[in-house]
This record gives sequence, C-alpha cells and structure tokens, in this order.
Amino acid sequence: MSYTYEIQTKARSLLESKQVDCVIGYEIGPRGRTRPAFIYQPEEVERLVWNQACTHNLTIYLKEQLDPQQSGRLKTKEQTPRHAAVVVKACDSRAVNVLLAENHFGREQLHVIGVVCDGIHEGAGEVGNQRSVRQFPAADPPQFQARCQRCIERVPVVFDTFIGERPSNQKSGMYENVLDDLDCLQAMTPTERTDFWLSQFDRCIRCYACRQACPMCSCPTCLYERDDSLWVGMGIGLNEKRTFHLGRAFHLAGRCIGCDECERVCPMDIPISLLNRRLIQEVETVFGYRAGMAQVPPPFVTVLSDR
Amino acid sequence: MKMTAPEGLAVWLDRLAQEVNLIAPREIDGVLLYRPVRNSGEIVWEFTRPLLSIKEAFFPATERLLTIEKIGQQIKLTETLPKGEQVIFGVRPCDARGIKMLEALFTDTEPSDPYFTQRRENTTLIGLACRTMGATCFCTSLGGAPDDPGDMDVMLYEVENGFVIQVMTEKGQALLSRFSLETDDISENESEFRASYLCEQAERIVIPEMNAWAVKFDDPYWEQVSERCLSCRICAYVCPTCRCFDVRDEDLLSGNGHNQSERIRCWDSCAREAYRRIAGGHNPRQAKGQRLRNRFLCKFDYYPRQSALGTAACTGCGRCIDACPVNIDITEVMQHIVEVSQ
Repeated sequence: MSYTYEIQTKARSLLESKQVDCVIGYEIGPRGRTRPAFIYQPEEVERLVWNQACTHNLTIYLKEQLDPQQSGRLKTKEQTPRHAAVVVKACDSRAVNVLLAENHFGREQLHVIGVVCDGIHEGAGEVGNQRSVRQFPAADPPQFQARCQRCIERVPVVFDTFIGERPSNQKSGMYENVLDDLDCLQAMTPTERTDFWLSQFDRCIRCYACRQACPMCSCPTCLYERDDSLWVGMGIGLNEKRTFHLGRAFHLAGRCIGCDECERVCPMDIPISLLNRRLIQEVETVFGYRAGMAQVPPPFVTVLSDR
Repeated sequence: MKMTAPEGLAVWLDRLAQEVNLIAPREIDGVLLYRPVRNSGEIVWEFTRPLLSIKEAFFPATERLLTIEKIGQQIKLTETLPKGEQVIFGVRPCDARGIKMLEALFTDTEPSDPYFTQRRENTTLIGLACRTMGATCFCTSLGGAPDDPGDMDVMLYEVENGFVIQVMTEKGQALLSRFSLETDDISENESEFRASYLCEQAERIVIPEMNAWAVKFDDPYWEQVSERCLSCRICAYVCPTCRCFDVRDEDLLSGNGHNQSERIRCWDSCAREAYRRIAGGHNPRQAKGQRLRNRFLCKFDYYPRQSALGTAACTGCGRCIDACPVNIDITEVMQHIVEVSQ
C-alpha cells in the first residue's frame, strides 16, 4: 500500500466520522508542483498525495485552523473548538510538540498523521530551478535536501496515525553528502563571520517569508514590525535586516526544529537555517536539549525560572 | 537595421560602465538580479528573467524622500531627489512594460511623484529579446511579447553572429551617439527582420476582463485558495507593477547636536496582515482570503479603472508563480474567474 493511499484512507475515515473538520496534507497543482492542501469533505481526499516533494511544514497552519479567533477568517466560525488532522514528517512532528508545549491549541484538537519520510528532494515545491542563473533540469538522480541528509529522527516523534515502517538502519546511506557548513562557520574569525552574515543580509528584501514559513514564529505582531513602538526601523536597510535576522534567530533558540523551510522559501537564497542551526548547536551544548522531542517548554523557561 | 558582434558589444558596455551607472543581470551569490556592474564580464547573458524586476532602479526598496532638521526653533526640510544617470542593459519586455504601468500612476497621475519621475528621466533602457518563453511566462496573453521593443529605448535581438539593434527612442539614439558602437548593416529591413525573428511562444491563456472580478467578490474561492498563503510579501516584491509603499519619519543619528530625522518610504504589500489595519484597530482585510482577493482585484480591476492605460497591471512575467513558496498561481486564479463567469 502506498503512503498516498494510506493517507487518503485515513483522511476519509476521519472526515466521515467527523473526528476532524479539516485534513491538512499535500496535493499536486496543475503545474506539477506539490503544495499544501486543505480537505474538508470526504469526497475530496483523492487530492491528497505523498511524494518526495512534500517539503512544506504543514504545522504552520495549525494555529489558524484550531484557534480561528486568533487569526481572522473570512466567514464567522462556531465557538466550539475545531479539530484538524495534519500530515507530518519527522521534522514537522517536532514542531507539533513545541506548539503544544507553548499552548497554542489542545492536544485533543489534533490528529497527527505521522509519515516515515524517505527524504525530500532538492527543488521540491518549485517550478524548475528558477532562482538560479539558468534553468537547470532536475538533477538525475535527484539530490536530497540538506536537512534530510542531516536527519537523525526519520520517524515522527508524536503521532496518532503512523504511516510507514521504522527503518532498521536510521542512517542508511543518507549521510554521504552532509554539509559541513557549521564547521566552516566556526572556522571563521569573528570579523570574517560578521562580513559573511552582513553580505548575506544585504540581499534580504524583508519579505518575511522566512518568518511566515516558520511554525514557531507565532507572535500576533512580530517585534520587528511593531509600528507603535518601532523597535526596528521600517526601512529595508542593512542595519534593520541584521537586527531582524539575528534577533529572530535568538527568539528561535531552543525552539527551532531545523526543518529548513525558512531557507527554502527565501527568494534570495540566504542561508537562514545555518544561523538557526548554529544556535541549535549552542543550546544542545549548553543545555543538552533538542527542541520538539517531547512536549516540554524550552530550557530558557525551565532552567532560568528558578532564578 | 544594424547589428553588432558580441565582442564589440562587450567593449561598448565596458566603456558605458565607466561613465554611467550600468545595471545589468548579474549573479549575486547564485541569485540573478539586475544590479550595477563594473564591466561586461559581470553580466549574465543567458537567462529567463532575474528574480527581481527593474522596478528597483526606479522605485527602490527603501528611499529617502527628505531630511528634517530642527535647528533651535526652526525646522528645515531638505528634499533629497535622486541624481545620477542609469543605463539598464538586458531588460526583458515584460519588465519594460511594468515600468510603463508604474509611470502611468507615479508620473502621469497628479500629483506626480518626483522621485520616480527623476529616476525615469535619468534612465535609458536597453532591451534584450527573449528567444523562448519561460515555463511560467504568459506575456503574450496580456498584449505583450517576448520580442516586443515597444517600451525600450534600444532593443537588442540575439542572432547567430551577434545582436541586431533597433533604436526605439531619441533617448536611445542619444546614448548610441554619445557612446559609439561598431555596427554593420543587415540586409533585412525592420519589418522583414521582426517577421523572421523566431521566438518560441507559449500558448495563450484567457485573461478575465475587468468587470468579471468584482462580481465574484463574495466567491468562497478566495478563502479556499488563500488558505495556504503565508502572507509573506514575495509576490508583491518580485512583481514589476506592485507599487504600494509605507512612509515614515525616522530619527537620524547625527553628532552635531541637531535634531535630525529623515522621511523614508519603503516597499509594502497588501498581503501582510496589518496592511489595511486602521487607527482604532479595525482591519477590513483581517482574513487571508480578503487580502488575496485584494491583490487580484487591484491588478485586474482597480488599476485598469484608475489608470489612463486602462490595462490590467500585470505583464505576464510569471515571477510571482515561480517565487510563491506555496504555489499560489495567478493563472489558476484567472482560470477560476473565467470558469465561474461563464
């Protein structure tokens, strides 16, 4: 049985029995791009697919599905808490734990369809390789995304439905091309590191796609966009951008699960995930903590709360 | 018509780069953008289109409008109009068309915007025709064409031995007079050449007419299609015709004891949640569906109604389709409107 079939079957049963109001999964659009899908009717479950272009972290949609009062919706909603199912990979599932620990919605509102992902391809979610200088045909065989090559979970850490089989060997051949970009960063002098990051932020257009694609960036009004206090200037200049990126990285320390979606969505190819992973490394070293492995608050809340 | 060899063109561009701000497609850390180049070696020649349009050169992401100085009891305002000549090389017809659409609002509609207008006057456009259309291009469906020279000052068409040159405006002629370019005559005349210039064109799609959109204001489609929208600003920022901006006075750090601030404007997008929030906190576009609907109505209804051009504010460049992280596709939206209008 293919994963697609299993996901469709589960979605149909959840919707028919009214256990959930919505199943958040993936579909393929008319141009052949895999994209998020929101299924409300059992008759529509055939839209759902699973493939190796399912790159999006669908947990970003959970808050607006489960807590619609917080986010405006076009039509008025009933007061009863909504229920939703979401298809997650191992990385995405860790985001579920962080969101639950931060009380964005109740566990009982959510049905997690966890998939044992075989890895997502480079270029997933895109039409060709449009950001590059020239149109490249897809690599043959397709390369896996860097985060997949680094993945040590492979299996969702929280789920209600489990699709796939636990791999016997977690590291089966995926590690050959692991990027050592963190090592490169560490090898730089502070001046070199400053120059590197400033040259990356220079390209930034403050589109905020990185923030919007992140399940943990859930502040109702982002600190960097407050127009009452104006902590950071409005302009799309280097100082403002540096403040935004570095500040956001610190706000994510201990919360980021390394899904790399921030980096994928960036139209300017800025290595945003590298910055977040640097801080993930620090948190692991200092606190021995990895975000999202359990439904617990991050160490900044637990360790510092006694002081 | 005349043509030039690639080497001659390269030398010419090198000279140009010495004298004016030459902007051309170049690769910055793997991202193709229209940016200043120091010599022709930095130019990328084979591409569909750069990620951002040439809009940046006329309407920068952030721009100072004036400085405000408080000196004792007096307040001194100093306008900071842009200066300096620009030549943009390698402009695609869709980008040049986008500037025409911005011009209709920024320049031709009162009050005229002096910043955009000054930059437009200071800029010469050298176009480069496309040989093929990209997978997401649909300029031909909106009255454009991959080899359309209409909005350029000088147009180049790549041929086997070099580039055929078509001078379109006095400004273009003035540039070629100022900086002479080695050319040879070609045998065909203008119409013969244009007819023979083979350019692979994509199938046309149906564009809903202006009046088809507002009647679908309450269509539940808007909420459905917007559900995956991230409310980022990528579509607006890569678009050649999106032009919303925010204006604010911000303090300037100055050490001379004067109270200094600057009035800046920067890009904004109706996709962001707080875009239409007004004093008192009411937000008529709180929901994503309302915001996404606005984006399309603005392009296909509001702009044609308000601007003298009367066309939709879309050049069919396809950037938004490529750049959207969740595959919200303007051609799909248009197809829906066409379908429900029948």
